[in-house]
Amino acid sequence: MAIITNNNIKSTIALASLESVYDPEIGLNVVDLGLIYQIDFDETAKEVFCRMTLTTQFCPMGESITDGVKNTLAGTFPGYTARLELTFDPPWNFQMISEEGREFLNR
Amino acid sequence: MFAPQGNIATAKTTSYKVVLPFYGYAAISFLAGTVMLLINTKAFTGHYFQPPLLAITHTMALGWGTMIILGASHQLVPVLIEGELYSNKLAYASFICAAVGIPPLVSGFYMFDLGNLALAGGILVVISVLLYMTNLVASIRRSKHRNIHATFVVAATLWLLVTTIIGVLLLCNFRTKCLPEESLHYLSLHAHLGIAGWFLLTVIGVGARLIPLFLISKYSHTAILRWIFYLINVALISFFFLFLSGSTATLLIPITMIFVSILLFVFYCFRAYKERIRKQVDDQMKISLLSTYMIPLPMIFLAVVIGALILSGEPQTNLVSAYGFLIFFGWLTAIILGMTFKTLPFIVWHKTYHKLSGKGKTPNPKDLFSERVFHWMSVSYLAGVPIFAIGVITTNQYALQAGSLFLLFAAILYIANVFKIMSHSPKHYGNNN
Repeated sequence: MAIITNNNIKSTIALASLESVYDPEIGLNVVDLGLIYQIDFDETAKEVFCRMTLTTQFCPMGESITDGVKNTLAGTFPGYTARLELTFDPPWNFQMISEEGREFLNR
Repeated sequence: MFAPQGNIATAKTTSYKVVLPFYGYAAISFLAGTVMLLINTKAFTGHYFQPPLLAITHTMALGWGTMIILGASHQLVPVLIEGELYSNKLAYASFICAAVGIPPLVSGFYMFDLGNLALAGGILVVISVLLYMTNLVASIRRSKHRNIHATFVVAATLWLLVTTIIGVLLLCNFRTKCLPEESLHYLSLHAHLGIAGWFLLTVIGVGARLIPLFLISKYSHTAILRWIFYLINVALISFFFLFLSGSTATLLIPITMIFVSILLFVFYCFRAYKERIRKQVDDQMKISLLSTYMIPLPMIFLAVVIGALILSGEPQTNLVSAYGFLIFFGWLTAIILGMTFKTLPFIVWHKTYHKLSGKGKTPNPKDLFSERVFHWMSVSYLAGVPIFAIGVITTNQYALQAGSLFLLFAAILYIANVFKIMSHSPKHYGNNN
């Protein structure tokens, strides 16, 4: 699934940094898992905004994953405030896993 | 500013403080159950209605199986119903009532002193179930999401309530006869409402959600789960009335229905396994899946027991004991051994590291316990169950002692790993944040 962004360069940096945030159960990072839907930057308000989902609503590890995403974005873009929105529209499904992610799970 | 477009959801999970006491209590009960097994092997060569066997069964059913299911449920029900747990206080109260009630009940059976203390213990267990049920129903009512898994859990809890109430009635009947027959007569009814109503419905309802989730499997088949649900519940209701009518031969009808439902669940798990996306299956999932394939074994024993009862009019007591042993130490213990290490490390990891996530290196939940200890626990357990079962069937003391030693060793390794997880702190990982 293509990730929506208003800043291609910065979102590439953001996605590269988010590859270090893992779903602890699956062992796959949130980007390859397809949990990140949107990354936008507001240069006036100095905000980085991320819209993401979880594999299941009320996932027991959900808070760890969202905290990981928020902390990573704040660390990657100093001076920016990281803001996160959790959505289940559309709900996550297996088709959202990237090719790299599928290869990892097939090992 | 960015305008939010999607649904904002909070993924608040149940506090670890609610869940961990149940796990700790269950681990100690498992150890106590295996110790009692070792020092009472002779009891397994006689009739199943003996004080040590009653004590072991209740330790395993209540202290081990029920406590861990209640603990895990408080964590998993929010996942199943996609809503928050209604009350932490009710969960604590439920734990305290069960934790205080089980020891006097078990010791009452062990000493065969079914006086006021044992009765008070039994009543506390019933109160604990009522509190859990209130919390469960209130959580579901508050959540907008209803699904088949939650329906399984509610029905299972209803059966647990019926089972524990019958248990208290049987205790009263020991003291002053208040039922038409002796308590021994109703033992089978009490046991099977608990085994199929509480344990089987819970394991299937929760397992049907968790097994595909942990395997990362696309498989889901609500229609099969509905069939299983109706088959088990109709079987239990018919079993209840057929039992009271005193017709032994007709009991084969509900038993067949339960057997079909088990086969459907085995098929469900097999399909989930075949359609998994993650190819590698860890040891915790392997032992959980093994437990699923173990369920038909005690059912075959039960059919033989009923068949022998119809033909000879006498129950084959060693087969009945083997059947009970395979239920509690076989199927139920296997799934708990596997699922403990799929749930507990995540609960403790979440408590310890969720605020540190994304700020530096953190361990994986699997790093919180020793895989080596888990491996030897599994080996010891898988050796202990068949050896002990053979010992019960053949009434061989050597096999009984060897089997119980293996199981005791497995319990020691289990408890060591559980307490290793529970006592984990970031310092163990060289992280002092």
